[in-house]
Amino acid sequence: MEVKHLLLAIAVFSSANAEETPPYRIVELISASSPSDSRSKEWKPGDGIPMEVSGMEWIGDTLAVAIRKGEVWMIDNPLSEDRDKIGYRLFASGLHEPLGLTLDGKDLLVSQRAEITRLQDNDGDGIADAYLTECDGWNVSGNYHAYAYGPERDGKGNLWVSLNLGMGPLANNSIGWRGWGGVIGEEGQFTPKSFGMRSPSGLGANREGDMFFSDQQGTWIPTTPIYHLRPGVFYGNQESLETLKSPDSPFQMSAIPKPNQPYPKALQSCPEFVPPAVWLPYNKMGRSATDIQVIDQNGKFGPFDGQLLVGEFTNSSVNRVFLEKIDGEYQGACFPFLKDFPAAVIRLSFAPDGSLFVGMTNRGWSSLGNRSYGLHRVIPSKVPPFAIQEMRAKPDGFELRFTEPIDPDSITRAGALEMTSYTYQYSNKYGGNEIQTKPHELSGVEVSDNGLLVRFQVRELRPLYVHELRTKGIQSARGRALDHPDAFYTLNRIPK
Amino acid sequence: MKILLPTFLLLLSLPAQAGPHVVGYERFHSQTPSAEGGALLYSELGCANCHGNSQVAIPRKGPSLENLSSRVDRDWVVKFLKDPNAGREGSTMPHMMHGLAPPEIDAITAYLGTLGKGLNFKKSRHANAERGSALYHEKGCVACHAPQAKLESELAVALPNLNEKTNLVALEHFLSNPSKYRLDGRMPHLPLDKQEAIDIAAHLLDYQSSDPRRAPDLKAWPKAERNMVEQGRALVTKMNCASCHDLPGIQKEKPHLLSLTSSLNQGACISIQPTKSHPHYQLSEKQRASLIAYLTIQKPKDQNHQKGHLTFAAMNCYACHSRNGIGGPTPESNAFFIGDKSLGDSGRIPPPLTGIGHKLQHDWLKGVLSGQPDHLVRPYLKTRMPAYPAHAETLTKWLGQLDSVPGAKPILSNSKDLEEGRKLLGTRGGANCITCHHWGDKKSLGIPALDISSLNQRLRPEWFRSYLLDPAAYRPGTLMPSLWPEGHSSIPDILDGNTERQIAAIWEFIKDGKGHPTGFPDRSGGKFELVPKDRPIIQRTFFKKTGSKTILVGFPGQIHIAYDGLNAHPSQVWKGRFFDAYNTWFTRAAPFEEPLGNEIFEFPKPESKGRFRGYRLDASGNPIFLIQSGGRKLEERFSVSDRKLSRMISWTEGTAPVVTHPKGVEVAKNAKKNTLTFIYSWK
Repeated sequence: MEVKHLLLAIAVFSSANAEETPPYRIVELISASSPSDSRSKEWKPGDGIPMEVSGMEWIGDTLAVAIRKGEVWMIDNPLSEDRDKIGYRLFASGLHEPLGLTLDGKDLLVSQRAEITRLQDNDGDGIADAYLTECDGWNVSGNYHAYAYGPERDGKGNLWVSLNLGMGPLANNSIGWRGWGGVIGEEGQFTPKSFGMRSPSGLGANREGDMFFSDQQGTWIPTTPIYHLRPGVFYGNQESLETLKSPDSPFQMSAIPKPNQPYPKALQSCPEFVPPAVWLPYNKMGRSATDIQVIDQNGKFGPFDGQLLVGEFTNSSVNRVFLEKIDGEYQGACFPFLKDFPAAVIRLSFAPDGSLFVGMTNRGWSSLGNRSYGLHRVIPSKVPPFAIQEMRAKPDGFELRFTEPIDPDSITRAGALEMTSYTYQYSNKYGGNEIQTKPHELSGVEVSDNGLLVRFQVRELRPLYVHELRTKGIQSARGRALDHPDAFYTLNRIPK
Repeated sequence: MKILLPTFLLLLSLPAQAGPHVVGYERFHSQTPSAEGGALLYSELGCANCHGNSQVAIPRKGPSLENLSSRVDRDWVVKFLKDPNAGREGSTMPHMMHGLAPPEIDAITAYLGTLGKGLNFKKSRHANAERGSALYHEKGCVACHAPQAKLESELAVALPNLNEKTNLVALEHFLSNPSKYRLDGRMPHLPLDKQEAIDIAAHLLDYQSSDPRRAPDLKAWPKAERNMVEQGRALVTKMNCASCHDLPGIQKEKPHLLSLTSSLNQGACISIQPTKSHPHYQLSEKQRASLIAYLTIQKPKDQNHQKGHLTFAAMNCYACHSRNGIGGPTPESNAFFIGDKSLGDSGRIPPPLTGIGHKLQHDWLKGVLSGQPDHLVRPYLKTRMPAYPAHAETLTKWLGQLDSVPGAKPILSNSKDLEEGRKLLGTRGGANCITCHHWGDKKSLGIPALDISSLNQRLRPEWFRSYLLDPAAYRPGTLMPSLWPEGHSSIPDILDGNTERQIAAIWEFIKDGKGHPTGFPDRSGGKFELVPKDRPIIQRTFFKKTGSKTILVGFPGQIHIAYDGLNAHPSQVWKGRFFDAYNTWFTRAAPFEEPLGNEIFEFPKPESKGRFRGYRLDASGNPIFLIQSGGRKLEERFSVSDRKLSRMISWTEGTAPVVTHPKGVEVAKNAKKNTLTFIYSWK
């Protein structure tokens, strides 16, 4: 295996000061020696383990990694920064494109195209010797795009699975729960719960145990959404409407939303149709979201506990999402966070020491990172991030919380804050532009005494619209510039 | 014999006051009367042919009447002359004959019958209306005309009752040569071969026989007396028909320029009641208001811009293409644009024409508009680009002026960075262009985006430069990423990440035309063949004849099975080489695979289906499949020794299960309590 013995510490971009140590550094475990011929029909992975990471799970200090080739590897000593000390053991093989991995007792649950499989090592030799069908019951047409993701456990112990829509030759979305999310039933059958998904490649629960999933821009989906995953709702994609005709469908739509109308209007079509908790505007926040990973590290990964990290495929980056509950429904803001990974980010997992492991694979799609796969680790440095930690909706505007006290003059200046709002067209087209964009007048910018909170009023807030905040020249009291100046709040509901 | 009119060809029933039907007007200007809409009508109703000042780049003409008597039924012509709307609803031909007596109309018809030499059609031997229907709906006819399933559409060009107007062979002739008879390109030339033309004609006429020779002939036009023809010719000359139609030997009158605006309400052509000796248009109220607005209101400042829009509307380029955010497929026609889904909407919808005159080089654009087949670079679009051979030069020149971007930043010249260009285009640390784009004969590594090996012959370099900097600005929704976001290269280690030099290097390498980008794989393959040595190898895959949940087991003894995980039974067994895992392991869209070995034996499907619950491995790595069948559990273990396959089925309760065996294989059976063992061997 070709391993570069150079430890790469790639600086996370900080506009503050090029001299300053960045708040996070990225350490390479494996990068593909082969480049990202990501859509090649004859792509070859290069030497060594083709670490096209598709699932990660921790067993003590050992990192279990599923790879798309169909294997599960155990990585020993993954926290060593001396790569010679990191060991790789093959645990399971012969799987069919696994895209999720979860520990269940002593076993691992891994997704395959046609089932969720329980991997057991009964004789204790470190190699799986039982591949038991844990869950099946969805249709597999043989179409490449009909992926299966999960399982991922919510706070009640439900194991959630999400099923991609097929696309292209052999695709069949009219049967077998394509575009549905569901849980593993008692008899091992896939139990559908909610639908209207397109490419729900990322699942993850927050600290409260509520499950979320990401979808990806494409047909019916104007830009990447993050949704609260729960039973009985519709997420907008109509390509698998036919599945409602199944006698096993857990619910029916009271009306089918008509396409070609603005999202806020389309959402009124029926109560089952729900908006995303957060939209991630196209290009500004990336293009195709992947894994969702809650930060729950007692501050070891920065002051963001309770927030969600969201992998970003095309831009080879990681975004951050802050959520709050308004009238019992989640909504919130997203912020750019980490970038410059060498390949498409698809899986995120926190190590026991609070560092973040980032799994990557491109195969099938392009990304800004031009390697085809890799496994990297993000370690917080001693320098804290300077970021908009939280953005909360208020009845008349927003409240920002910063990670460290800001220089009040820098934010009360004219032009320091600008806001526009927009929405998207609900349409079966592939992706969609921002529409009905409107600038908003901001006023009454007030900074709290401790310099951490900023309140401002916004004229004519628009419910269900994305409110994009652009900041300019905001400095911390110590004179640092923000790591990322912009924030995007999806204002589904205006708090009373 | 007349063929009954198929329902889908029934005339569109436009409301009585709908007025002449101009698609571009209906689509963009029919809501509110406007000068712009009026300008479009002024050209498309042929006003400009008598009064000058056409507002579109290619003036509207009437169809050529050459060979009329070989192509069009005489009765239909008479009916049409008397009332154009009766011949074709929404016709843009005005009433001309309201002041004439029937003998005069007969004289005109007699004259028309003498035009052209007459045609001797060579009849095709085969027609297929069904295939014609598919072509009609796939190749772009429905961009302008209504699809079969739709009886009417505001935005479709109505077809006349074709069975009344013409016949199979004449329609085939017309579809093969539209530009011969539609000189103004409103019905453009189509790249159809002869078979396609007759199939589409058969579809349009609902001609269901496969033998075109049995289709009815046109009734011969009666031979007319000379003085009658002369009388007709005199009338046609007097009525200035030549201003719209090319008529041999007849001069059109000089334009009667319109200068006075005060008398417009009484304007003869557009008055509500017909006026003798003037053409009469049965305009809708809005159309009349639009025309008056156009003729009385000051002209817009940006006449070029307006001319651009009006020309695109007049030629109905907007049916397929958008330009400056206007046009493109309508909600009704959209679904008929098909292509390669893996390219998103750009894989099925013709490209936007915003700035097209800036994008394409003169010669290339002219080639596209003239219909040169090698100028069509998007083979994945099912919709075919029609051609405008007679107008290609005019349109090209005009678009070049219209879209010119003075001061567009040029590409760095004299770049010598050919190797860097090769690297940038390729996948080894480059911009991965060939991941999506074909390169000459070499297929892209992934999705089939268009060939970029000769784009220097098509694109203007300054356009190419700006496009690379922000593809989405030029093609909203494109899958093409920006590798130079906001001008900053995302490839720092080639040419020091200098954006301008990188783009220039790419351009120069393409222009140089030698070699190909790095990263095309060699086709050796076979590196990932699975060869069981010490232990069985198990691999799941999609597999032909077994299904989408196949568990392959390869044994060191060169006997292998494919187990059907959907139905829980063995499906195939074969000898020799096992399996090449390459596609299953590493390709994006892995196909259904086949055994590598040659001697393949299939198991008949058992009548009852079990439920596959996975497998365990024994100490030697042999699989024991777990099956739930009815209320009980079965286990099925496979192993190979002495070139024989052993299959042992055991169960905890109940009677022995029904078992099927592959044909052509010798079966030895051994039964014990709650266990059946079969040994398969080959003769």
